[in-house]
Amino acid sequence: MKRVVITGMGAVTPLGGSVSETIQALDDGRQAVRRSAELEACKGLRSWLAAPAELKNEKLIPRQNRRSMSRMSIFAAQAAHEAALQAGYDARQFEAGRVGCVAGSTTPSPITIHAIYETFIPTRDFGLIQAMQFFQSMSHTVAMNLAQYLGLQGRFLSTNAACASGLQAIGTAYELIRAGSQDAIFCGGAEEYHSTVTGVFDMLLAASTKYNDSPDQASRPFDAARDGLVCGEGAGILFLEEREHALARGATIYGEILGFDTCSGGTHISESNRECIAQCMRQALLNAGCSAADIGYVNAHATATLQGDGEEAAALHAVLGDAVPVSSLKGHLGHTLGASGPIEMISTIEGLRKGRIYPTRNLTCVAEECKGIRHVTKIESSNVTCFIKNSFAFGGINASLVCRV
Amino acid sequence: MTREEIVSIINKVFEDSFEIEPERLIPDANIFLDLGLDSLDTVDLVVAIQKKFGVQVRDDERVRGIRTLGDVYQFIELIYNEKKE
Repeated sequence: MKRVVITGMGAVTPLGGSVSETIQALDDGRQAVRRSAELEACKGLRSWLAAPAELKNEKLIPRQNRRSMSRMSIFAAQAAHEAALQAGYDARQFEAGRVGCVAGSTTPSPITIHAIYETFIPTRDFGLIQAMQFFQSMSHTVAMNLAQYLGLQGRFLSTNAACASGLQAIGTAYELIRAGSQDAIFCGGAEEYHSTVTGVFDMLLAASTKYNDSPDQASRPFDAARDGLVCGEGAGILFLEEREHALARGATIYGEILGFDTCSGGTHISESNRECIAQCMRQALLNAGCSAADIGYVNAHATATLQGDGEEAAALHAVLGDAVPVSSLKGHLGHTLGASGPIEMISTIEGLRKGRIYPTRNLTCVAEECKGIRHVTKIESSNVTCFIKNSFAFGGINASLVCRV
Repeated sequence: MTREEIVSIINKVFEDSFEIEPERLIPDANIFLDLGLDSLDTVDLVVAIQKKFGVQVRDDERVRGIRTLGDVYQFIELIYNEKKE
């Protein structure tokens, strides 16, 4: 089996337009949740909060590429551009067809789908729908736009498992390179914010509703006073590369992916299940050839929902005990859904490379059902190298990835 | 609608939808070779024309003959006058 390393990372997040801007915000303890006038204007919606990213410099992407991109694909292209620059990516150093693209999002562009039906339903006139709107409302819109933008001709896959989409993309890319099918892959996830996204979570009783007047307090994973998640947007893209290939071209290695697993819980359509999460982490450790004792930190999925955080905490306790530091970055970033896995993984790698673990922001009183693990509540100095990144999704989907910096 | 009004509306479509600088919008400009449009852009050009001028031109064979910006102006003028009649 080949070894798989990370040679480039890029991100557009609610905290900044690049990895360095995001890390600076995490170092400063800033958070991104805002009250949204758009949400306030919606009937029947009780959660008025969002963690938006800033769309800027999009015209640097050539129009021929950009015309088929909605907001989420633009974020992905910008993140990929940053990852390619960091990796020193030069297509001429790679064999044709040996560089792939694996990426996903929760849904296609909700903004474009809204626009299409806003035009079509009252008129029933397809003549008013633009060609480019179709390309923005396909399930693989992020991955296909990314592959076009980067001119990639290798393996192509779109992972669309809601909030696990991004981590599944990284895990799938890892498995493809590990098996020798590809030499390198741009992989990750992207998301764009729209009122219907918050609407779904609010309807399912999973969005924060009590903190509309204090947005900075709203996203509080593992906390006794948590009341749900806050939807965000952005993109995180990693450039994974076969280790010998990276070494041969003198690339800087920022981390190595050691193992991955993703599974369906098969127990409930929306509720997380501690046994299934634990099984996913155990399988990822087994695939990595690691034991629980090798893991020095867990970057949790923990979105601040009442049910999910408790199940993840119980699973972490079962697999790793009560001494391994655990935190969730959703207190800072909100929940960037399909982008959350890669964004939080990149943030973790950058933090650990600087010898620090970022805390769970707003965690002031650990909920009874989230006890039994060691919560990180302020920035900690650390020499940890090996960590687990978790992402879960509606449908009982679990994903766990083992990484070493 | 005068020729000048048609030119102004069409040029605005080329500026907004296809990001062409105003100084390049001359009647002799070939919309494919000089202005860089492709077949997908022409789909959206037709949609824009239908929206701006309230006409149905998707099945009009004359659309296929359009090569220059001047051809677009002339086509709209014809369509618009036919609609008036």
